[in-house]
Amino acid sequence: MIRIQNLRMSYRSGGESVPAIQDVSLDIEPGQFYTLLGPSGCGKTTTLRCVAGLEEPDTGEIAVGDKVVYSSTQGTWVPPYRRNIGMVFQSYAIWPHMSVFENVAFPLKNDRSRISPDQVRKRVLDALALVKLDAYVDRPAPHLSGGQQQRLALARALVGEPRVLLLDEPLSNLDAKLREEMRVELRELAKRLNVTTLFVTHEQLEALTMSDVVAVMKDGKIIQSGTPAEIYSQPRSAFVAKFIGRSNIIPGRVMESSRSAGEVLVHTDFGRVRCRDGGGGDAVVLAVRPEDVEIVHTGEPGADNIFEARVERSLFFGECVESFVRVGDVSLQLRLHPEEAPNGGDVIRIHLPQKRCLALSADS
Amino acid sequence: MTAITIEPPKVRRRFRKSEPLAIAMLACVAVVCLAILALLGVILWLSLVEGSPGIETYSYSLKNFGEMITDHRIAGVLVDTLWFSVVSLVVAMAFGLPAAWLAERTNIRGKTLLYTMMTIGMIIPGFAAAMGWLFLMHPRIGLLNVLATRTFGFEQAPFNIATVVGMGWVQGLNLAPLAFIMTAAVFGAMDPSLEEAAQMSRANPLRTMLRVTLPLASPGIMAAAIYIFTIGFAAFDVPVIIGWSNRIFTFSTFLYLLISPQDVLPKYGVAAALSTIVMILAAALSWWYGLMQKRSRRFAVVTGKAYRPKLHKLGWTAYPAWIFLGLFFFLSTVLPIVLLAWSSSLPFFQMPSAMAFKLASFNHYRGLPWDLVLTGVSNTVILMILTPTLTLLVSIAFSWAVIRSKIPGRAFFDFVAFLPHAIPSIIFGVGALLVTLYVLQRAVPIYGTIWILLFVFTITRISYATRMTNSGFIQLHTELEESAQMSGASMPRVFRRILVPLLSPTLLYAWLWIALLTFRELTLAAILTSGDNTTLPMVIWGLWQGGGLGQASALAMIMLVAMAPVIALYWTIARRTGLMATS
Repeated sequence: MIRIQNLRMSYRSGGESVPAIQDVSLDIEPGQFYTLLGPSGCGKTTTLRCVAGLEEPDTGEIAVGDKVVYSSTQGTWVPPYRRNIGMVFQSYAIWPHMSVFENVAFPLKNDRSRISPDQVRKRVLDALALVKLDAYVDRPAPHLSGGQQQRLALARALVGEPRVLLLDEPLSNLDAKLREEMRVELRELAKRLNVTTLFVTHEQLEALTMSDVVAVMKDGKIIQSGTPAEIYSQPRSAFVAKFIGRSNIIPGRVMESSRSAGEVLVHTDFGRVRCRDGGGGDAVVLAVRPEDVEIVHTGEPGADNIFEARVERSLFFGECVESFVRVGDVSLQLRLHPEEAPNGGDVIRIHLPQKRCLALSADS
Repeated sequence: MTAITIEPPKVRRRFRKSEPLAIAMLACVAVVCLAILALLGVILWLSLVEGSPGIETYSYSLKNFGEMITDHRIAGVLVDTLWFSVVSLVVAMAFGLPAAWLAERTNIRGKTLLYTMMTIGMIIPGFAAAMGWLFLMHPRIGLLNVLATRTFGFEQAPFNIATVVGMGWVQGLNLAPLAFIMTAAVFGAMDPSLEEAAQMSRANPLRTMLRVTLPLASPGIMAAAIYIFTIGFAAFDVPVIIGWSNRIFTFSTFLYLLISPQDVLPKYGVAAALSTIVMILAAALSWWYGLMQKRSRRFAVVTGKAYRPKLHKLGWTAYPAWIFLGLFFFLSTVLPIVLLAWSSSLPFFQMPSAMAFKLASFNHYRGLPWDLVLTGVSNTVILMILTPTLTLLVSIAFSWAVIRSKIPGRAFFDFVAFLPHAIPSIIFGVGALLVTLYVLQRAVPIYGTIWILLFVFTITRISYATRMTNSGFIQLHTELEESAQMSGASMPRVFRRILVPLLSPTLLYAWLWIALLTFRELTLAAILTSGDNTTLPMVIWGLWQGGGLGQASALAMIMLVAMAPVIALYWTIARRTGLMATS
């Protein structure tokens, strides 16, 4: 539904050209909920704004549906107001001089096929009902709470029945509780209406819970994309392993590898660890998530990925305990069930399960 | 070494195809910038040229500058102008600054009344105030002087308003409302948590004031002072009414003397040379002003939360405070108007007495040269409607180009738009005069029409109007426009349905203020009117120059009354939007 090919764009700042997007390509299926995830400045919002037509890329091609809206080779440019895309802005951008009704009716009144006033009214009310704001039709728009303004922005984006919905960090201005509710609601709404959604966020939790596909961006490039489960369990780089969830990153060298079995033996500062092969070369980093490290009471330290560790401190979080331990000179973080939690100063044995240890290229 | 080649960044084609409005606005901005630069350019050019209008061959030399330096009057004029500006700045600050502190940082009651009393004087034209003060302190006919010589038997009149200091006093009273508004904004924008932190760090109120409040406010106050000094330097109304007949000149009136002398040929070249020097001075001052503004903004509240600074409790000191405010209101507003009214109703000016009251009549009002007055009125009304409208249309284009578009060179547009504030407006008037005389001549017969007035009025108001529209645009989140675009609205529609409605309080306010300034504009009209394109203030000045003091007072009174409804409207809107003029 959205196809981006070799998109490039740079900003000019003080006579210099700063690249914002470097060769981004992606393909979003109809009805898919697609998320661009990355730290600030990675180019995710710029990519979204290029799709919207609010920024003009330098080169590349963007197609929405079967219509090319931008192409540098063909010289195609469709202005934003002709792209039939719904968009929710970070600030919501509710027009303060209009009522709730007028805000939602505005896209319909701009439609080139003149829509009758009855039809406008019906569609506005439908859109407001969709976001449960039908009780506020005639209220001045500034008299809404933050959460309500956000629903209003959503209703306005959806009222024109767009082919594509763009969401620019729409949850970042809400408080924690409301954000949790809206996460579920947004996804369900998008799915119910079967609207193709491109979502931009820097919150990994939002990306993981809401998306069909997550694309992780860094320095203007998509470095990995896949389902949330794939991204989480099979990061292809240390950056993704750290950015999605958390990971202990341990530098090491590959001693022997049997690529056929997808296994490598990694030599680290504290010993040899047998890992899954994550496609690294000789110099690798070993990535293991805090919740995957186990405490064991049997087995010989040094063999079978079992090591002796000294507990430095434990932090109580309620549903879990986070322990910081030292194995040799290396610090590791563990996430444990409160019942298993060791105390500071204890000497314990930990197991790094081979299936959960990934040897990733050390370059990224 | 390997040579690194950097590919030159492409100039981004932001508005390709389909945006005729963007192209139209950019074209408008470019044309206006060219016009501003052309007016100044012609002055620079003529300052280096020998000869007079109509001569075919020009030769370049520094003769005009030489003539300027050898003219013994010029050094005196510049010293007098500086002295005059300093006095008016001191007077304006002496009244404006304490009042601003009272209004913003104390719990004084009746702040609406305070604001009204402090700012109403702003709309009294400088020439009307000057006329009033002249009636009070003229060495021969001034009421105070007559009273003093009669009562105490002075040989000589004890007061003389017709001095540099006297003119500075009147100008200062006229500028005090501006000083008040600008410094009140500084006090109001200060982050109260900084002062609270000082108090929590064991600083007593006095120490807090000296070590935190004043240092924080000083760049803002300094910026206001430079701004007011600039206006004082360029002032024309007060020096021309009070100083002209007593041969005391400041920069603007002297420039006027150079280009329209009664006895000799106009010295356009020397006028251009003098203007060039003042332009350089103005550039230095506005660079300093920009520096102070930048510093002041760094100190302003950035949290955006609706903090109210902690207010000082006044107690009994509220009484002297109100006496101070009342005194200012009396001096700046009541006194000049009362004297004008008195003068307008008497056959000749004299002390109030039973005899004088018997003589009082509306004869001056009836005896006005009504044909001329009506010409002036109709020209003024046309200009009063067209000038703000045109200025704001141009300013919206400017602000859009500067704030919203990303075209290269937009900062330069903003700089050019600020020039008409930095440079005394009489220089633009002279520039326009020289352009019509030397360059356009008969090709475009604009001289002597109201269109040249409209053109120059618009140019000189662009600084103020773009400051207003710029801040309007800055306050609007770009996403408000982008979301309209995403809702299918084309650019003209975004302007009509989103931008203009959201900017309308600012636009309406600025429109009214520019209309008021146009109504009372004398400086540019003095340079550029000749016969048919006369304006109301010009008619008043003409009567005054001709010795018809009573008639001039009568017409000034009529003008003040006619302004009242516009002022009332302006007032309501200013109060509602929380905006105030600063030019």
